[in-house]
Amino acid sequence: MDHKTAQANLPLYFDGELDRAASREFEAHLDECADCRAALIGLDDLRRTLRDDAPRHTAPDLLRKRIEKLAAAQASRSESIPARRSHRPPRWLAYVASTLLAFVAGGVATSLWQGSPRNAETAEAPAGTQLARDLFASHWRALAATSPVDVVSTDRHTVKPWFEGKVGVAPVVRDFAEQGFVLVGGRIDYVGSARVPVLVYRHGQHLIDVFVLAENATANLAASSAQNGYRLEPLRLGDQPAAIVTDMDAAELEKFVRLFAS
Amino acid sequence: MTAAASQDFVGELAQRHLDAAYSLGRWLLGNEHDAADAVHDAFLRATKSADTYAGGNARAWWLAIVRNCCLARLDTRSRDRRNVSIDDTTGGSDRAEQLLPHSEAGDVEDRIDHAQRQALIVHHLNNLPIEFREALILREIEELSYREIAEVLQTPIGTVMSRLARGRALLQKALAGTAAGKVTHGP
Ligand SMILES: [Zn+2]
Repeated sequence: MDHKTAQANLPLYFDGELDRAASREFEAHLDECADCRAALIGLDDLRRTLRDDAPRHTAPDLLRKRIEKLAAAQASRSESIPARRSHRPPRWLAYVASTLLAFVAGGVATSLWQGSPRNAETAEAPAGTQLARDLFASHWRALAATSPVDVVSTDRHTVKPWFEGKVGVAPVVRDFAEQGFVLVGGRIDYVGSARVPVLVYRHGQHLIDVFVLAENATANLAASSAQNGYRLEPLRLGDQPAAIVTDMDAAELEKFVRLFAS
Repeated sequence: MTAAASQDFVGELAQRHLDAAYSLGRWLLGNEHDAADAVHDAFLRATKSADTYAGGNARAWWLAIVRNCCLARLDTRSRDRRNVSIDDTTGGSDRAEQLLPHSEAGDVEDRIDHAQRQALIVHHLNNLPIEFREALILREIEELSYREIAEVLQTPIGTVMSRLARGRALLQKALAGTAAGKVTHGP
């Protein structure tokens, strides 16, 4: 890479926007160009100054309460509207929805839902399939968000009461850090339109969501399923039905499931 | 998405990224009151236009609405020039230096030093034209990717890159200026 190209690529490299191959080329140039090194250090100094010295403005409590109140009011208002399920969307629309949902995560467009042709034929997916879809969608949404957890904690004694306060459900929270599955926290997420507690674990590079479901929810959920490299596995958490969604491979997933049974 | 689900979605989204929204408001509008009101506006607007969310990065969608509400507020503000309080209370680095006394205690000096540096960076950021300031804040403080910034600013990625480059250059120059000033004014 010549100096001119390197100069043009420098901010991209600095901001993590250069792909791996181009980064390698840039680094090779960096080794022999003092000017580019100095420019990079300059950008880094500026970033450090901004991150260390610029004040962090966090939302005042009053604003947070205002928004919480508004959100709660909106939610109860829309709940009071009876669900409109009078007419079915056109068949082609159902088909499109079942086969492709473009989901942009971190600038990479991933096409999801290569639904089985059987579902497309019946136009309306069985409830269990819908639940599986909602679980996958929830997981992907969390991956695209800044943080997959609302409460960060490796301590199950913190996570459990947090859920209790938020949704009135206190799921069984267990940590398997010793076995390599670290509890990183929890969040409240939507599965379809239901708010459910989600326990979040990490295993190496893999993020694992454990959705705690309503009593009758898993009745028609298939034993296990997979979509685009992500797996879904129903299980029971104490006496509550739950479902795991993750991109771990089958063997790791099986190990994780067995820990819950122990 | 059903109406109920989209309302819930906006509520959850706004609360999850409330700090980012408020911070953006602070940097664009310069004071707590206006920033909080702009975020409030944005929430109402987001719930009304939840249907326009077409998938993609939800945080960027939400911050774009917040930014639009901030710009609308800036617009009315410039039309009727009321008294507007801006965070920059130092009036520049020279005054900040005069106001802050010397002290023997190390940690006190550290704190003063930090306050001084904070005042400096706030001053220089507020001096930047708004299009450079917002790009810098979104990248360096909120750590958004180019694509996310482009979505928030509703501009092409190329524009994001040129604004970032220009903003960084201007800020580096301004900081170098005060650093040099400090040396000559030093004891
Ligand atoms: Zn070079």
